[in-house]
Amino acid sequence: MPLSVALRWWYSLKRHTLMAKKIIDLKGSILSFTVLKLYNDNIDETKQALADKIAKAADFFIGIPIVLEPQVELKNPTYLALLIEYLRQLQMIPIGIRSEDPAIQEQAEFAGLALFPKETSKKKMPKEIEDKPVQAAAPQPVEEGLASAMRVARAVRSGQQIYAKNRDLIIMGSVNPGSEVIADGNVFVFGKVMGKVIAGSSGAEDARIYAKQLNPELVCIAGVYLLAEDIDDVYKQSFVEISLNNDKLVFNNKILD
Amino acid sequence: MSKVIVVTSGKGGVGKTTTSASISTGLAQKGNKVCVIDFDVGLRNLDLIMGCERRVVYDFVNVVQGEASLKQALIKDKRVPNLFILAASQTRDKDALTQEGVEKVIEDLKADGFDYIVCDSPAGIEKGAQLALYFADEAIIVTNPEVSSVRDSDRILGILQAKSRRAEQGEEPIIEHLVLTRYNPGRVDSGEMMAADDVIELLSVKLLGVVPESEDVLNASNSGEPVIMDEESKAAQAYKDIVDRFLGEEKEHRFLTAEKKSLLKKLFGK
Ligand SMILES: Nc1ncnc2c1ncn2[C@@H]1O[C@H](COP(=O)(O)OP(=O)(O)O)[C@@H](O)[C@H]1O
Ligand SMILES: [Mg+2]
Repeated sequence: MPLSVALRWWYSLKRHTLMAKKIIDLKGSILSFTVLKLYNDNIDETKQALADKIAKAADFFIGIPIVLEPQVELKNPTYLALLIEYLRQLQMIPIGIRSEDPAIQEQAEFAGLALFPKETSKKKMPKEIEDKPVQAAAPQPVEEGLASAMRVARAVRSGQQIYAKNRDLIIMGSVNPGSEVIADGNVFVFGKVMGKVIAGSSGAEDARIYAKQLNPELVCIAGVYLLAEDIDDVYKQSFVEISLNNDKLVFNNKILD
Repeated sequence: MSKVIVVTSGKGGVGKTTTSASISTGLAQKGNKVCVIDFDVGLRNLDLIMGCERRVVYDFVNVVQGEASLKQALIKDKRVPNLFILAASQTRDKDALTQEGVEKVIEDLKADGFDYIVCDSPAGIEKGAQLALYFADEAIIVTNPEVSSVRDSDRILGILQAKSRRAEQGEEPIIEHLVLTRYNPGRVDSGEMMAADDVIELLSVKLLGVVPESEDVLNASNSGEPVIMDEESKAAQAYKDIVDRFLGEEKEHRFLTAEKKSLLKKLFGK
């Protein structure tokens, strides 16, 4: 996710300047990336498909790190190099590739891309309270876990961005076109969603989005996103819940029935 | 108590200056002492619409820069008592206005007993527009019924709520009013323009009034007279309603639906 990545960079930078002495920190994988799955090794068709996709939300893709995931054998030896160049032209940042195919791995190494394992470890949100075993011992100081939700008692307007770090986000008004609301936890919108909504921005795959009415520019959970055109109109009429299941966004408009 | 009103929109060419001129005139006609300030440095067209362009000796920038006194720069309207214009400079660049300078002018106008200080904002969301709205107590958001205009108004509302003096000092927020102008019900019905309800819902701002698309506006500005003075005109009636509502009167909204032409009118093409 571009925003969450940028924000986390910023936060880690801030931490570094606050902490004395420490020069660097090498942490485990906390970032989630946008994965570009490739179902076709024709470079022109791939480029066209990318251009079409991006035209709808060009800003969103600027500067975002991309991991390529070929789903087919890449017979054309120049395909990867051409694709990488094209992604850079679009101001995206191809950083790695996810594939078990030795031929592709070799091409990737040649192109200077990192190799990612097929399945990355999943990050979970802290367990719900009911799940917790009753603790007899003195409570540990809380290091992790969500703080109480951030509440915004108005509409979020074009050009505004709201980020709820490590917690849920509740928007009482609408999320207007050209605005973005982002949370590491769940996002609840009591008005209409017409802008971008991002839940689980640090990679929590069990984060969800709830909206009174949804006609968004983009919805995204833990890096998996859909643009408006990809969302079935039946989910744009009434209250809807969005969750992530097997790397796919699942829409449910019946939870209040 | 003086009130500072900003007339703003984000987008250009939507009717801010037209609205500033008519509302200022209307407020003065009701007996208030009003000053209307052109913040659009470099473009300067409020004075044209108010018909006083030949009487501009000193302008707003001169006062802000301390090159002239407020008294020297205030132009008294020839038609309506208690109405004064502070013109923008045509020759200076946008950075000629400073926040301290503007604040001083506004404080001086308040001390002079002006009831309303109307700030006609330049287009955009950058410094010039931010300066025009910074000291506002109330805002009139001027929007046309089309997507890009509404989007820009939404943006400027966000700035009002975040970057005005009231916001920065944690005071009561600026009171927001919506003026939907160049409204053409026929084109709304045919789906070419956004309906008033949709604009209001998206912006969530209370509607102050709808001004219909009207040729009288251009004619008025060509003759240097705010359109509100053209008694016959629908646009004038719309602006009169707007002034009345602004002053607290309850009035039903008009000009929202297409006029049904009677057979007779159709026959005679009127
Ligand atoms: N209600 C209206 N009907 C027709 N034309 C209008 C109306 N309001 C404004 N206009 C025209 O739109 C143009 C821009 O108006 P102006 O008040 O100068 O906008 P702004 O100050 O927002 O740039 C002018 O040519 C003006 O005559
Ligand atoms: Mg203007």
